[in-house]
Amino acid sequence: MKGEGRSRGFLLVVGAIVASLVLVGAYLATGGSSYEPEKVQDPCKPRPWSNPQSLSEIANQFTVSALDGAACQLGVTREALARALATPEARERFKAKYGITDAKLAKAVRAGLVRAVDDAEEAGALSPLLAVPLRETVQRIPLEQAIELINDAESLLGNVNSFLGPAGDLLEEFLP
Amino acid sequence: MVLADSSIVVLALPDIYRELDTSVSGVTWVLVSFNLVMALAAVPAALIARRVGPGRAAAVGLAVFAGAGLACGLADSLETLIAARCIQAVGGAAAVTAALELLPATVGSEQRATTVWAAAGATGAALGPALGGILTELVSWQSIFLLQVPVALAAAVPILAVAKHEAATGIVSTELRRTGRPHLWANLALAMVSAAIAAALFLLVLLLIEGWRLSPIEAALVVTAMPLAALVGGKLTDFVPDARARAAAGAILVSGGLAGLAFLPKATIALTLPPQILVGIGLALVLSALTETALSGRAPQAIHGGWTISARHAGVVIGLLALTPIFTADIDQQRHDAINAGTAVILDSPINPLLKLDLAERVSERLEEERGKVPTIGPAFEPLPDDPGERSEVQQLQGELQDQLDRGATHAFSTSFILAALLGLIALFPIALSKEVEL
Repeated sequence: MKGEGRSRGFLLVVGAIVASLVLVGAYLATGGSSYEPEKVQDPCKPRPWSNPQSLSEIANQFTVSALDGAACQLGVTREALARALATPEARERFKAKYGITDAKLAKAVRAGLVRAVDDAEEAGALSPLLAVPLRETVQRIPLEQAIELINDAESLLGNVNSFLGPAGDLLEEFLP
Repeated sequence: MVLADSSIVVLALPDIYRELDTSVSGVTWVLVSFNLVMALAAVPAALIARRVGPGRAAAVGLAVFAGAGLACGLADSLETLIAARCIQAVGGAAAVTAALELLPATVGSEQRATTVWAAAGATGAALGPALGGILTELVSWQSIFLLQVPVALAAAVPILAVAKHEAATGIVSTELRRTGRPHLWANLALAMVSAAIAAALFLLVLLLIEGWRLSPIEAALVVTAMPLAALVGGKLTDFVPDARARAAAGAILVSGGLAGLAFLPKATIALTLPPQILVGIGLALVLSALTETALSGRAPQAIHGGWTISARHAGVVIGLLALTPIFTADIDQQRHDAINAGTAVILDSPINPLLKLDLAERVSERLEEERGKVPTIGPAFEPLPDDPGERSEVQQLQGELQDQLDRGATHAFSTSFILAALLGLIALFPIALSKEVEL
């Protein structure tokens, strides 16, 4: 009777080990070890453009490149910066959290716009003839306007005429 | 009822937190205080029960438990609630330890009394969260405590007869000096396993409510899997008389279940069920087996029962205090990572830049509104765009963002579940060193 009790006990322990291993093994095999948020990319690393065709697609990638460039300069993630630039209140919270002044933010946003122009030019989405004056212009504009350009890159790229003055008519034909 | 009380408030904590306008660490003490006082008061309460008689000790204990429960239900501040919980634990400790002395007369033998008492402890621990969740959702968190008042008083009525008999005859224990030493290894294992089980119960309900945004009643229904599995585990006791084997198997199952919860491959309720079944069967096996081992050959039963109560509740306190800061820090980090991952999904999406930055803004607003919690992201996407193509893209985006949040919420608990699983496995050492006991 005692021997039978022991063998039942042994079977129970073995059964518990098998059940536990099967469960954990099945969960690990179906992605249990990697079920976590995706890691965001370092904004300082290049993010290749994916052959944009329309003006809207170019504007989309322009915005992302500009955010990458500005975030890299500030040492924050592109995602945190995007949320910060959404509203003046969010921007103030962001500045307070990271100890960033308006001047530093303006410098970073302008650097971001320059990177966006560079990336667009490299991807063949922007003619070098248009890229040069655009690069010059974005390096001088005030912070509010620079943020607006990130938010509404499509208007910027679509309205080069008004943005760059009389030379715009000539340059517009260089947009794809 | 008393043993379920250590975990019964866990699903009510968010409501208590909001209503009493307190902090997260403050509200945790509603849970910790009860278990801590139970751990400290169990042995002294058992000694008093031996001195004054178990009938009188149980009757007074239940009356104190009921009175303090009433005070808990009427409490309008966190301080009052915690103070009342402490008094409730003192009453509960007296009632539970004395009950072990009273049970043999009811169930026929001391050995049977030990089995019933141990099984009641396991069932109580497993049932607590589900019961508390249902009451919180259907009535209020106060109802958890107020409902205990009539139940405790009803339980005290038949015991009063025993108490009267003790008072009339003056029969009390004279064996105080002959109390043997507590069973060290069994009680140590009990403390470790209880810490692991506390993690299973408390972390799982927090994951369901705070992470996956289930209502208390939904979470209560989900965690009902554990007490149901515990019922099955309890039946195994009859087939396996070797308590050490049952304890080892139980500890392995609890650890396996916790490891399963640590490696959930998706934020789906159905996937929590297999680990819960393992934990439920495991806790029924291990808690009853270790309690039987700790009480076997020891006298008086009330005092050694007191040691097991003390070990179990000390384990719960250690589990809560050790794991709470870990998962609190993890949930903050994971929430942050999930928000960044979700924003990346929005930024990399093909939707119009103006719309995506507008969405980033609304997501940001949602974060502010639900600061410190994993947000429900749906409202940030409303109203949906009129254009069918754009609407479909935004809806897909919403799903992807929610997926990132679910990933973050689920992963936030992984480290704590793994640590709890390790505690369960470490308990195998004292289990191996404990003596062999057969029913």
